[in-house]
Amino acid sequence: MKSDIELNINGTAKKIFVEQSKRLLDVLRENFLLTGTKEGCSIGECGACTVVLDGEAVNSCLILIGQCGGSEIITIEGLEKDGKLHELQKQFIDKGAIQCGFCTPGMAMSAYALLLKNNNPGIEEIKEAIEGNLCRCTGYKPIIDAVHSAVKELNDS
Amino acid sequence: MIPEMIIKNPSSVEEVLQILSNHRTKNKIIAGGTDIIPGFHINSPRFTGIDVLVDINGIKEISQIIELDSYFSIGSSVTFSHLQASSLVREKLPVLYEAASGIGNKQIRNRATIAGNFINNAPCADSVPALLVYDAQVVVKSIENESIVSLQDFLEFPYKTILKNDEIITEIRIPKKNAHLLGSFYKLGRRRAVAISRISLAVLGSVENGIFTDFRLASGAITPIGMRFKEIESFILGKGIDRDLLKEVAVKTGSKILEVTGLRWSTPHKLPVLQKTLYQLLVNNFLENDEK
Ligand SMILES: Cc1cc2nc3c(=O)[nH]c(=O)nc-3n(C[C@@H](O)[C@@H](O)[C@H](O)COP(=O)(O)OP(=O)(O)OC[C@H]3O[C@@H](n4cnc5c(N)ncnc54)[C@H](O)[C@@H]3O)c2cc1C
Ligand code: FES
Ligand code: FES
Repeated sequence: MKSDIELNINGTAKKIFVEQSKRLLDVLRENFLLTGTKEGCSIGECGACTVVLDGEAVNSCLILIGQCGGSEIITIEGLEKDGKLHELQKQFIDKGAIQCGFCTPGMAMSAYALLLKNNNPGIEEIKEAIEGNLCRCTGYKPIIDAVHSAVKELNDS
Repeated sequence: MIPEMIIKNPSSVEEVLQILSNHRTKNKIIAGGTDIIPGFHINSPRFTGIDVLVDINGIKEISQIIELDSYFSIGSSVTFSHLQASSLVREKLPVLYEAASGIGNKQIRNRATIAGNFINNAPCADSVPALLVYDAQVVVKSIENESIVSLQDFLEFPYKTILKNDEIITEIRIPKKNAHLLGSFYKLGRRRAVAISRISLAVLGSVENGIFTDFRLASGAITPIGMRFKEIESFILGKGIDRDLLKEVAVKTGSKILEVTGLRWSTPHKLPVLQKTLYQLLVNNFLENDEK
């Protein structure tokens, strides 16, 4: 059944009239054209669809929009501020942590969710945060390095 | 594909029960959705023909972990991340803490709930052996009734429990007299982060002056449903701890598993792994602690 759903996406209040059982992933991509969030496996295994929902990293392929009324959602598009990339995004580029880029938005959102809770995570905490994000090409080391460097930069500035 | 359904977002258990008691529609509770939503994609018969999904996220009365006089109360929609972050769980229920921390991955633990995990009664549900060693009880409510049953009795057959369509689980109770016991949870899976477990075991007990004064052992994935090994538990009680006893327990557990499972194709490689694993778990938890 369709209904009105109000939620906050990337800091802006939104209201849409949509089928309640549509996945959050599809609403982001089709209704809001936020196509940074990717669909890989559709069953919670790859993390390509990761967004931050009320402060936690979640798989948007496993959440229905009818469960999201009143929530705050942050997608990869919400990381840059005033045309400037977030430190995480800069470090992913600098450290060569992106090859095909398909996993990158999900990786970045998992890392971002970690930083919301812990502004100085160590390598083990970074690994735990991205354990649900698969990368088929870059390999995890450059990705972990990128997150680690972002942590350093954010704490130094 | 996800079928079209109505989603309701009640804000109390009372409201959930009202919705569930309407038998003109097929209603189904959804909590974290981590079993239901993948289930839609494979057309799981357990999740077909649903008219109304009743979203129980955000109902405060069932999402808390509380210490009461005689038991710990864990709300049914407490997530595994919440269990992992709870100092009460970490300190007093270490086996549950370990099981919770090893489930899926971060995104899954942020959504997946404890009750949702054992309601499917999949042999690979990691909460099951952990809760069984703690003698967990489940509180089941319908609009007319409330009952408290042991988790073991709640789990009926693989993929089936005694839960009826118009019932909700509100909480899991763990008797506080278990809080001083030591133990751990072990699983061996296919892949590190998202292995749905293939072998899972939980042990819990205490050794005083070299004698086992309490001992519990439960399996998950290796038996058709999670179960306690009562015969082995009573065999070990009152005995003096040494490596030979622990070896004997590991061997006996292996034979018991053969007896309940019958031979399955995977058993020949699983059994020795299981026996070695169990032996090591027992040594680490009871002997080495005792020798310190
Ligand atoms: C990628 C991935 C990895 C996973 N890894 C693991 C793992 O390592 N170990 C493991 O054990 N599991 C694992 N799982 C499964 C685990 O996420 C689920 O079993 C989860 O715990 C189910 O809880 P939920 O809240 O998501 O349930 P849902 O999917 O919302 O519901 C499951 C069932 O429980 C019912 N239900 C839920 N709550 C209640 C209630 N309070 N009262 C009555 N009925 C209720 C629903 O109606 C439904 O039938 C994994 C899943 C995925 C997708
Ligand atoms: S698409 Fe959601 S986890 Fe793979
Ligand atoms: S960069 Fe291609 S999957 Fe990670």
